[in-house]
Amino acid sequence: MSKLNLRLFRMITGHIGQFIAVTLVIAIGLMTYVAFTMSMINLENSVELYYDESNFADIYVELVKVPERAVKEIAAMPGVKLAQGRISFDVPLKIGDTDEKVTVRVISEPEAEDKVNDVYHFDKGRIRNRSKDVYVYRTFANARGIQVGDTITPQILGETYNLTVQSVTSSPEFVYLMENEMSLLPAPSRFGVVWVAEEFAMKSFGMNAYYNQILIQAEEGQDVERLMNRVEDRLERYGVRRIYQQKDQLSARIVHEEIDGGKKSAQTIPFIFLGVAAAIMGVMISRTVRNDRTSIGVFKSMGYTNGQIMWHYTKYCTVIGLVGATIGIVLGSLTAAGMTDLYASQFFSVPYLRIRLYPQYMAMAIVLSVIFSIVAGLWGSRGVLKVHPADSMRPEPPRMGKHSILERTWIWRYISFSEKIAVRNLLRVKKRTVFIILGIALTYSITLMPMFQSSAFDTIFVDHYSKFLRMDYNINFSQPVSEHAVNEIQSLVEVSDIAPKLEYPFQIKSKWRKKIVTVIGVPRKSNMYGFVDTNGNTVDLPEEGVFMSEGLAKLLDVQAGDLVKVETFIPGREDVFMPVERVIKQQLGSNVYMDLSYMQRQLLDDNLINGVYVNTHDPIKKELQNIKRVASVQSMEDLVNIYQEFLQLTLASVGILIVFSGILGFAIVYNSTIMSILERRLEFSSLRVMGLSQNEIFFILLRENVIMTLFGILLGIPIGTAMLESVMAAFSTELYSLEVEFTWSHYGLTAILTLIFVLIAQVATYSRIKRLDFIEALKNRMT
Amino acid sequence: MGASFIQVKSLRKDYQMGEVTVNAVNDVTFEVNEGEFVVILGPSGSGKSTLLNIIGGMDVPTDGRVFFDQTEITNYNDKQLTKYRRNDVGFVFQFYNLMANLTAKENVELATEICAHPLDIDEVLDAVELTSRKDHFPAQMSGGEQQRVAIARAVAKNPKVLLCDEPTGALDFKTGISILKLLDKINKTMNKTVFIITHNASIGNMADRVIRMRSGKIIENKLNSDPIDPERIEW
Repeated sequence: MSKLNLRLFRMITGHIGQFIAVTLVIAIGLMTYVAFTMSMINLENSVELYYDESNFADIYVELVKVPERAVKEIAAMPGVKLAQGRISFDVPLKIGDTDEKVTVRVISEPEAEDKVNDVYHFDKGRIRNRSKDVYVYRTFANARGIQVGDTITPQILGETYNLTVQSVTSSPEFVYLMENEMSLLPAPSRFGVVWVAEEFAMKSFGMNAYYNQILIQAEEGQDVERLMNRVEDRLERYGVRRIYQQKDQLSARIVHEEIDGGKKSAQTIPFIFLGVAAAIMGVMISRTVRNDRTSIGVFKSMGYTNGQIMWHYTKYCTVIGLVGATIGIVLGSLTAAGMTDLYASQFFSVPYLRIRLYPQYMAMAIVLSVIFSIVAGLWGSRGVLKVHPADSMRPEPPRMGKHSILERTWIWRYISFSEKIAVRNLLRVKKRTVFIILGIALTYSITLMPMFQSSAFDTIFVDHYSKFLRMDYNINFSQPVSEHAVNEIQSLVEVSDIAPKLEYPFQIKSKWRKKIVTVIGVPRKSNMYGFVDTNGNTVDLPEEGVFMSEGLAKLLDVQAGDLVKVETFIPGREDVFMPVERVIKQQLGSNVYMDLSYMQRQLLDDNLINGVYVNTHDPIKKELQNIKRVASVQSMEDLVNIYQEFLQLTLASVGILIVFSGILGFAIVYNSTIMSILERRLEFSSLRVMGLSQNEIFFILLRENVIMTLFGILLGIPIGTAMLESVMAAFSTELYSLEVEFTWSHYGLTAILTLIFVLIAQVATYSRIKRLDFIEALKNRMT
Repeated sequence: MGASFIQVKSLRKDYQMGEVTVNAVNDVTFEVNEGEFVVILGPSGSGKSTLLNIIGGMDVPTDGRVFFDQTEITNYNDKQLTKYRRNDVGFVFQFYNLMANLTAKENVELATEICAHPLDIDEVLDAVELTSRKDHFPAQMSGGEQQRVAIARAVAKNPKVLLCDEPTGALDFKTGISILKLLDKINKTMNKTVFIITHNASIGNMADRVIRMRSGKIIENKLNSDPIDPERIEW
């Protein structure tokens, strides 16, 4: 090893704490980079592979009723590779606990050899007895403890069937298992999917030789959008309720959004950490160079070039970068495998994983780290150029001391002597002070994020399920009925309030933008929804015209007062133009709302409803269990409970983020304080000679750090708020409207955490002060 | 003897200190032959360190010329000066300026690693009587020992000239004398030209040439026909 490298090595081992602190920051940054990038790519590849192997449908058509013959016609259309009809209905599943309502989607398994949306079997068993055998979706089976050989009892049109589980399966359609757009969170114990023989489905649902869904796989290279339009035209007379592409399929869309979000994180978080690490290193090196002034002069007197000396210091950063990158890559790769697995098995259900290590991302991590480190090193060591060998042998003239503006104010009279020293020190080295304040501001901002994130979800759900949706139960009928059904429900259960409703999918179009959403009709005088417009005013549905949720309005570029076209899928009905009266706040989901009678008149038939909203104190599920016309009963309380479970998961990731920002804050303050101690050896030694104790010196430094921390926190509040707002905007979709209330308790808690990070860093530097040999420092000019 | 080994001609050096121009060296001219032991005497601020720094290529003059082995170094660029310092000059400082985190031997190697014709390090350490202490760090050595390491570091490069800035300034009398003996030995046995700058007039007695400075000017430049043994110096 060359002696310059040996010196470097001993520099590192001599100040190992500083080295570790910065290395950790880099390691965290690159771990996040590698873990997120690789797991998202792994996940994407696994899902793609699964989609490919299972003939995942390109187009979904939901119809009222379509004969087998029509499906054959579709299959014969040019551009169509495969087309299959199937029967799919949501029905209640009978279980021991009558208080719990479990819904299963019963899907008919086609007979064809090449199946669209082919299910993946985790077991060998297959449907043999066509009227008794069933496959159960894995996540649901796991959540409910259903095993092969068990019997499950769905209720189809009021009749109970005993079906034997032959195999546990998975499907590309339910990689992310959710009942519908309104549910937003998976509830695998309350909603599941089962597959039955086509013969059984047709018989039990009374759909002899008819289907209510068609799945289409397009030929390679087809324009799916155009094919979809052609299919829609062809099927018009069969009552197309909804037609959509793969990208709009609920599970596919959420998986895609999740992967995109992960990739976004992979492109932002690492750069924050690398940037901070580079800043710490740059400042650290520039201060080391200043301290090493005489040594640098000696190097130069021996004939070392500027380049050699700068590279010597830059290498210090490069070593940190390389070690940090190595740790980051190793941890990141391990985390990536775990993350992919977690996503694929817990969050999503992907039967087979394509986990690979991607050397290019590891190499990228190293390249990124080395670039940041070298830039930091060169920036930090540029002071080498300024060291004049002859001058460096003389002691540096003392820094200019100046009276600050503060000293001319009345405040100065009221602060103690040691506080005066602290203030003057901070003002004398402004660059350093600004750096630490910025660092603390950043730590504060990053800590603020997870604080709000956890409460953002909390706010969303509480707002959505208690302030916006005011009903206790949402009851859906299996088919549209007359409004008399309201009386029937009222006679069965004790209700304090009940309102008829219509929920029906329509395509809303504004100019060229369009979106299929559920349009909801409720009597305008009912209190089931708490509509609030974008200005925060409580509003009631108008007699004519509609309310549109904010996310949807943004997506369609619609403002209050605009006309939108409501395109119907119901045969024999015309598309209708309707005015958007108000854009309303809705944190979860996208919908259009209107008065029930207006909706009946304009879009469907008078007197027609397909469900009711109920307010009651009674647990009504039991009473409605055996009512033939009731397809599902959704309790808002259940939905909130589902969310509570989900929150536990979020809290874990919030904890990790807080630890990360803690390390960031620690690294910044620890390194700066250590540098201060080294730089101010002489000053502290003089103070020791004057009779100050080690503790008093510790408190001088502490006082300075606390002052800077307070300013850092003050600065962090606006920075953190701005960061949060941009994150919220970036992550809001038409399904999700992230909106948080900024409460002082969050700011306060974050401030306390930041202060704790700083104090931990400060305590860690205490041993350095203990070790300060003041006599040696005073008599020695050695570096 | 042909042309002198080191020639300094009408050298001037001004420093800018805020708004004031300080004249550190003013119209200095002298010559030194190869192998001479030169002592430059003068009080603080007389310009002797500045003069030494310019001869050693550590600083550049405002005016005047310096020739080293018949080559002018005062028109060297930064790169040439670095090379000059690397191969031709060895520096010894008052406060040793060793690298604290390198051992004695490593400090010497730090210098020899980059120069063209270094001497054998163990032989040099032996010559400065530090063989037994070579693996010690500076903090574990006395001032005299540290200065020996510094001298070894300068000599091991095998330079043509050794420039010593107050080499005994931080040492007690006895240790100071031992360092002077060592420098004398290097001058005599290795035939190195040695410059010592000091404010201690007694040291002049061991020199071949004594140059006295005051306020940036040479007030006396005389050859010493009978240099004494360092052992006999007293102060």
